[in-house]
Amino acid sequence: MVENDIFLKSLELFKDAFPGRINQILKSKEEGKKIVGTLCLYVPDELIYACGADRVILCGGRSAPIEAAEQYLPRNICPLIKSSFGSVIDQKCSKTKSCPHFGLVDLIVAEATCDGKKKMYELLNQYIPTHVMDLPQKPENQNALEYYIKELESLKDLLEKLTGNKITDAKLKNEIKSANETRKLLHALYELRKRDSPPIRGTEILRVLQQMHFLSPDEFRKNLVLLLDELKLEKRECSGPRIMISGCPMAAGNMKVPEIIENRGGMIVVEESCTGTRAFWDLVDENKEPLKALAERYLKIPCACMSPNDRRIGQIIELVRDFNVGGVVYYTLQFCHGYNIEKYRVAEALKKSGIPLLSIETDYSAADTEQIKTRVDAFLEMLE
Amino acid sequence: MISIGIDAGAATTKAVVLRDNEIAGYAIIPTGFDFRKAGEAAYREALSKCSTGESEVGKIIATGYGRSSIGFADKTISEITAHARGVSYLIPTAHTIIDIGGQDSKVIITENGKVKDFLMNDRCAAGTGKFLEYTAKALEISLDELGTLSQVSKNPAKISSMCTVFAESEVVSLRAQQFKKEDIAAGLIESITQRTTAMVKKLGIKPDVAFVGGVAKNPGVIRAFEKALEIKIRLPEEPQITGALGAALLA
Repeated sequence: MVENDIFLKSLELFKDAFPGRINQILKSKEEGKKIVGTLCLYVPDELIYACGADRVILCGGRSAPIEAAEQYLPRNICPLIKSSFGSVIDQKCSKTKSCPHFGLVDLIVAEATCDGKKKMYELLNQYIPTHVMDLPQKPENQNALEYYIKELESLKDLLEKLTGNKITDAKLKNEIKSANETRKLLHALYELRKRDSPPIRGTEILRVLQQMHFLSPDEFRKNLVLLLDELKLEKRECSGPRIMISGCPMAAGNMKVPEIIENRGGMIVVEESCTGTRAFWDLVDENKEPLKALAERYLKIPCACMSPNDRRIGQIIELVRDFNVGGVVYYTLQFCHGYNIEKYRVAEALKKSGIPLLSIETDYSAADTEQIKTRVDAFLEMLE
Repeated sequence: MISIGIDAGAATTKAVVLRDNEIAGYAIIPTGFDFRKAGEAAYREALSKCSTGESEVGKIIATGYGRSSIGFADKTISEITAHARGVSYLIPTAHTIIDIGGQDSKVIITENGKVKDFLMNDRCAAGTGKFLEYTAKALEISLDELGTLSQVSKNPAKISSMCTVFAESEVVSLRAQQFKKEDIAAGLIESITQRTTAMVKKLGIKPDVAFVGGVAKNPGVIRAFEKALEIKIRLPEEPQITGALGAALLA
């Protein structure tokens, strides 16, 4: 609930960004700029920008493209994979119609995270050239970092070949610096949510985070500064049981569960998610050799495809404490084995800390909305 | 002081009239298509049963799947909170509640009448009253017969499909293999109790265990739970009204 529902002008900048951004990409493409599509946080933006290319995130959060995808992919895989793939192959979606960014992409830089994505990328490659970056899946292994650096080097070569531009250390350091600026601004935004009555709702923040890898970094940062300035001026206060969402990404278009939580009176104060803390939590060390510094930072992202993933469990407990969380909603997409199985360990750790947990496994359809409402109501009543 | 609780369930709508913290009357009617109409009908029937006029009514609280359709209620509350309150009132020693209704199954752990933890089945009808209703049909028997028949089985059939639709075809195939009717009936009941037993074990059983909801009227299911959980199941006199009662108590 927002007590003083003051309209935030800057939030509209994120909401209305889609057509403007597409036009911007169209224009820069005409000027010869290469466009790179990504589907995961493990692909460092800094490398893409350092070679003078632009990038858009291709993760699908809408249910509409799923039907088309199911002509190629099994029904029982996660909706994010199906939605992303469906957007590419849907004929209606080509070039500049409903999903214009796919027609604009010169290269997809994908990543070997979960099995569903890896195998989907093989099909995706038939439509758009797709480079799959390998990831060491046991990040604590001695040679993991070295291996990841090698993968970043290959990516660097590929991007240089694509654009014809050299990625110099100076350029890369420059991109690292501005990406760190954005991360610091997001930390400042999240800092406001630690207040007893935060000035901004979780669903509002999520709409911002969903644009993080769609907008150009400059525009995203500029809008973020405006939002922070506006929040400084306006006396806005939100209330309700303090909820943390932890689990799968919530790509643009997917607002089902967070909207139910806040419409039923809860207040989301932090998201342990790819559209949340995982997107910006750690900074890149600006004093180190840039490729190594990038590798160190990105390998710290605690995705459930990593094993063991103790870092994530530790971070969840830390976030619960820092954001004074009353209850955790563990949010997973159907058939996402990584996050679904990891739930057991998260639940164990939360139980030890005395923090209640509500687990919701769902997809992009509205079929289970009423059941979710009942669970959320009961959970919020339990926390009150 | 009179308060009313209305539990707008997927299959049945229940209303309880509470006068000075005592149950004065109640009604259980089939929900049909319209949650609101069923809510009104149950409300009126419950009032007439205890000769109470509408003017005497204080607060009305709605719960259940269709709770937001009960427009004349002062407030809504989830059925999980409502059952916890209702069961604690009737059976103060119960701390684990199994509720199986027409559309879902839940396990609730309580502490001082409040919800401590809970689990609810996923979106489909597996492990609910609907499962028994459909599969009984495949056996060409009524729900009541299913319960009594299952108790004479010596060798329950193994039903492995959790999905209601698949289980129905599994029943047909067991019939073709000439399994006895009582063994299939017992197999069906075991299959739904197994599912709920897993939920109880996941949360950690906290005695006593109370069983409520429409399915708690089935003696076969009660016995199957007692066997699976190795504990005596406590039943309220009328297991279908604990949600409505809890809502009335929370008014």
